[in-house]
This record gives sequence, C-alpha cells and structure tokens, in this order.
Amino acid sequence: MSENIKADKVLDLKGLPCPMPIVKISKGIKEVEINQVIQAITTDPGSLTDFPAWARTNGHEILDTIQGDDTITFYIKRVK
Amino acid sequence: METDLREDLLKAFEGKLNQTITMYLETCSRCGICTDSCHVYKSMPRPEYSPAARAEVIRKLYKKYFKFQGKLLPALGEARSFDDTTLDDLNRAAYSCTGCRRCMTHCPFGIDTQQIMSIAKLMLVVAKEEPEILSMLADVSISKGESIDMIKQGFIDGLKRLEKDVVKKWKLEAGQIPIPTEVQGADILYVALAGAHSIIPAAAVFNAAKENWTLSFFEAVNFGAFVGDPAKTKLIMDRIINEAKKLNVKEVCICECGTAFRVLKQMSGKQPFKVSSITQVHERYIKENKIKVAKNQFNGVITYHDPCQIARNGGVMDEPRFILSQLTDEFIDMAKRAENNYCCGGGGGLVAMGEDSHDFRMKSAKVKADQVKATNASLLVTACENCHSQLSDLNKYYNMGVEVKFLSSMVADALIHD
Repeated sequence: MSENIKADKVLDLKGLPCPMPIVKISKGIKEVEINQVIQAITTDPGSLTDFPAWARTNGHEILDTIQGDDTITFYIKRVK
Repeated sequence: METDLREDLLKAFEGKLNQTITMYLETCSRCGICTDSCHVYKSMPRPEYSPAARAEVIRKLYKKYFKFQGKLLPALGEARSFDDTTLDDLNRAAYSCTGCRRCMTHCPFGIDTQQIMSIAKLMLVVAKEEPEILSMLADVSISKGESIDMIKQGFIDGLKRLEKDVVKKWKLEAGQIPIPTEVQGADILYVALAGAHSIIPAAAVFNAAKENWTLSFFEAVNFGAFVGDPAKTKLIMDRIINEAKKLNVKEVCICECGTAFRVLKQMSGKQPFKVSSITQVHERYIKENKIKVAKNQFNGVITYHDPCQIARNGGVMDEPRFILSQLTDEFIDMAKRAENNYCCGGGGGLVAMGEDSHDFRMKSAKVKADQVKATNASLLVTACENCHSQLSDLNKYYNMGVEVKFLSSMVADALIHD
C-alpha cells in the first residue's frame, strides 16, 4: 500500500529514545496541512504500540506501517 | 482572572492542603539554607530560582485565601490575590523545579518544595496551562491501558525484533523464552520503557539468573506524575498494578526510570507484590550468586550519577555502588554522600519537553557538569532513562568528554558464561 502513498514530510526518528519519537511526531504533525501525510521512520520497537495509541488519542490516521529489518516506517495522515 | 477559574483553582489548592503540606506552608523561616542546595540557583543565581522563592508563589496565595489575616488584612500578611500574572509565576516556579528534593535534605525543617510545587502543577492543569506535551504523553499512556487488546499484537511484533539481540547477550537453555509475556504466577513482572535498550539487557540478565519472569505490556514511565495530574498518575499506575494482580506476580521490577520507581513504590499503597528497582534486583542476583560478572572489562575511571527519584527519594544508593564495586576497581563518587549528588537537571518532565526546555536544562545544570568533570571519569553511569538523556545532552553542551552508560547494560555486558 505504501508505494501509493505520497508523503508531504519525512521525519527521521531513528535512534531516538523514549518518549522523543512521540514528542517529535506531535510537533511534526502540526507542520503539515490537514489531509497531508507524514512518513515517520523509527528504530524504536515501542513505536509499534506508541504510534497507534498517539494517533487514536489525537485523532490522526495511520495509513500504513512497514516493518523493515532495522526500521519501522509509519505513514500518518493529519486528520484535524 | 475570571471568577469561575479562580474558584476552580482554589478548589484544587484546597484539595492539596493536607496536614503535611500545611505544615510546609506555615513553617519556612526564610533562613536561606535551601538556596545554595538547588542546582538551578547554584548554576543561575537569580532570586526566583531559590526553593524558598518558588514556594513563596504558593505561600502568598495560601495566606490570601486560607489564612484569616490574609483575608482580613492581606497587605500585612504578604498575601497575594490571583491576577493576570499568577499563572505565569506558577509555571516559572513549577517548571524550574525538577523535584529533586535536594533542598529538602538541607532545610532545617525538612520542607519539601516538590510537594509545594505539586500544588502549582495541579493549578496549571486545572487552568489548562500545563506543558501540552506532558499531558499528551500521559493521555497516550492511558489510551494504551484502555485498549490493551488493540496494542498487544504490535507489542509482541516489536518484541520478536529484539529476541536475537537478547540471545546474543545470553545463550538460552532448553525451554527458555527470550522475552516471556503473560506468564501467570511469575516471580517477577518487569516493567520496561518503550526502547530496546530498556528490554534487551534486562532480559539477558533475567535469563542468566534463570528467573521466572514476564515482561509487562506497559511502559513504566508515568507522565501523569511529571505533569502533576493525580488522576492521570493513578490511571497510568493502575495499568501496571492491575496487570501484576492479574498475573499474580510476587514482585514488580521497575526498569531504569526514576519517576516510575518512585510512583509505584511510594504511591501505590499496600499491594500483594513487592516493588523493586532493577538495580536492587541486579545487586541481589550478584550477592546470591545467581549471576557472575567480569571485573574491569570497562576501562578508565567510572563515576555514578544517582537519579534523584531512585536515590535521594527512593533510598537506592548502596546497591548501585555494590554493583560497580564488582565491575571496576576504578570507581569514584561525585559527592561524599550520595544524597548530595546534584540533580541532572532534567527531572520533573523537563527532558520530555525536548527542545523547548533545552536551553534551561543546559544552563541550570552547570553544577552537575562541573561535578562530573571534577571526577576525571571517562565513564558516567546512571540508572534512569531521564537522567541518561539529560547527561548525554550535558556531555555535548559542556564537552564533558565522558561516555554515558546505563548500569543495567553494563551488568548485561559483563555477564560471565560458565
């Protein structure tokens, strides 16, 4: 699915300790327009639970999650 | 300030006025002994950064609204009414204090400025003027607790990615699972942080000790406590308590996270399980010969930063020093007494506020950097994620020239295989 998603902003969150990936995505989402998409790349396995909980709490939508060998990539749409 | 908001703030204030806090508010004689004990004041000597001055922001409101003299003759009692600058003053006082309680150990009356600042933080929450990021992080934690079935698969997927690294550190015996979850009746429920570094070394040491352990589905850190919201603090804490009770574990072991340890240890009340820090558990394993560690595999002088919430506020001071005595012959303490270690400058939620607090965190922790530099250590060890992040930032800012390491990862790296 991700090959069809165009990211409007890319956030490199690799190597950041807890809770910085969530802190950075919270700021980053405000820097795109509503309906635009952020590609966030993390190495933190905790992001597999943190990002869905953050999106649910803040009303945004995770369009896709790709687990690579060393990284996890999220495509997140700003909804509001 | 609008009347409704003022009434809400006073209600929150009154709810905090137990016997202990009232004593703190009534007692300060302004002797000034606390002033030099505060790392913020010591690094940036401005009157508003002394612990007594921070407390005075609350104390003046107390005199105005809860003391007879302040109600009748406010000018005589140094009382202060709510006005348009009150919330700014509360914010400056509350978020320039890391809650390290070093001032409390110096105060002749034992006044706990952190407790007084908890009134300021609560009023900021009521006014919706608290740091937004801290409340958001607390809400994310609560959301995970409310929807455990939704996050479970993501969590297990994440753990699968870590298993090979656990096994690299400690080879498993037949039947051992690298990172067990949902083990009914486990002896230990280990509550980690989201990062791999909080899980991999701990898992290797548990496996080396042949511990009957299980990993919590929840992260340990309590952002509700950082932001000073008692309701959120309890909801986040209850996720772990409920999980521990459901699994009927004997002990809850908290990872290297100072606030998580202090909150569960001191605020959870009587529970059917014991609460320990991972440092205490590792000390126990070495003393009971459940694990063996190699000495002097880390080169150079090693010093230890006591996380305030684990050491001064949690009583865990001898344990890390015993562990380090087993790992090195070149340990040097920063202060004559562990209680006198300065705060790293990142507590109270400041580190989680990221770049927004960076300038203040660096400038207000100059004395910490000086304390580290005076040891001439090449390795700076700590046992708290928050402290580790802040010390790493300080290392860059002040060119301290040290490597910052977690104590638990050193134990895992030093494990001796029979």
